[in-house]
Amino acid sequence: MSLLDLKLKVNGKEYRVKVRPHKRLLDVLRDDLHLTGTKEGCGIGECGACTVIMDGRAVNSCLVLAASAEGKEIYTIEGLEQDGKLHPLQEAFMRHNALQCGFCTPGMIMSAKALLDKNPHPTREEIKEAISGNLCRCTGYRQIIEAIEEVSESASKGARE
Amino acid sequence: MHKFDYVKARSLEEALRALSQGGEKACALAGGTDLLVGFRAEDARLRHIELVVDIGDLTELAYIREENGCVALGALTTHAAIAESSLIRVAAPFLATACSQVGSPQIRNRGTVGGNLCNASPAADTLPVLVALEAEVVLRSLGGERRVPVSRFVEGPHRTGLRPGELVTEVRFNRPLPGSRTCFIKLGRRKAMSIARLSIAVLLRTGDGGVVEEIRLVPGAALPVPARVTAAEEILRGQGLTVELAREAGEKLAQEMVRITGQRWSTPYKVPAIAALTRRAILTAGGLEDVATRSQA
Repeated sequence: MSLLDLKLKVNGKEYRVKVRPHKRLLDVLRDDLHLTGTKEGCGIGECGACTVIMDGRAVNSCLVLAASAEGKEIYTIEGLEQDGKLHPLQEAFMRHNALQCGFCTPGMIMSAKALLDKNPHPTREEIKEAISGNLCRCTGYRQIIEAIEEVSESASKGARE
Repeated sequence: MHKFDYVKARSLEEALRALSQGGEKACALAGGTDLLVGFRAEDARLRHIELVVDIGDLTELAYIREENGCVALGALTTHAAIAESSLIRVAAPFLATACSQVGSPQIRNRGTVGGNLCNASPAADTLPVLVALEAEVVLRSLGGERRVPVSRFVEGPHRTGLRPGELVTEVRFNRPLPGSRTCFIKLGRRKAMSIARLSIAVLLRTGDGGVVEEIRLVPGAALPVPARVTAAEEILRGQGLTVELAREAGEKLAQEMVRITGQRWSTPYKVPAIAALTRRAILTAGGLEDVATRSQA
């Protein structure tokens, strides 16, 4: 089994890695690039803990081969912070106590970001739909939905001004 | 995790050549939402795979278009793209509905119609709809092209007529005649992220005076291969649609399911459930209120 020499673009930065063909994007993010914000929960696309944004869409990084991700724009939770400032979604999750153990949070926020990037003013139903592939087993979803709603509301205020 | 060699196809030609060289030991990788789950589980069905041919970058296989009344979906069209397509929403709304209910947003963003066909899960959401549309699969190999109806392509649970060296490149169907109404209902154990326990795809066209001119009934997760249940369709064809006839057709469909699959552990649950789903879907497609549901509720 040969090693593949891959060029990956993650959070705007180019990385070169040598990986075996069966390695998943999730493995490379965590083990090679040490971006451990992305979590492995189920490993079979049921829980959404490994959600990242690839070419503008939320995907399960446990179901993408690292080699398939070559040439794509990938964003992980680590890519949200700008100049030491957290992303409004991260701030809102803290304000709303939208996490307890935090394991689902990176995936949850990436799903929320994929939604807001495409649809800055989603309805509550659209928010629920967007995070329907992300399981949370301790916080419950209400605080999470409210946190996302707050960011979308402030976005709509921003748009009106 | 199952181990394999990997090649990324840069063109359809390259993909076909790699698949041809790999023969039975090669498989095509599209969205990966089924294949990677299987590799991780070291699924016996995939144990012989030594070469993965990644076709994910063949953007020429991701399209939805209509030509001369024929709607064609490239094999790499994602469930999300189909669910969002204004053409599909108008031409075959139940296909958009089925695609919008596959897995989760993450799965729909990666999973493709070609992959759903080749995985041939009995619970696949698109299969009953594609059979109801009398869709055809377009298969390409170095040797040329052949077309097979979806109803024949799927040969059993997780079994298809895909030959070594072949690739599904397109799924196509004739646009249903004007006046056709469709409905797809899926029964899962929960609302999101669910695998169909049962589903039903209905295509219905009524003529003058509400007489049923065309009716196609295809249950999902009910039969070994997705197929129209003609015995149930005959109850409706040529008749004026009523709640009573829809109920009868639903019950007939349930009987046919038992006749074909025999009694199984799930039969006592599936019989009343598929009968009710079918009745409801027929009435929804026909624009009639489901009186039976209301009185039962």
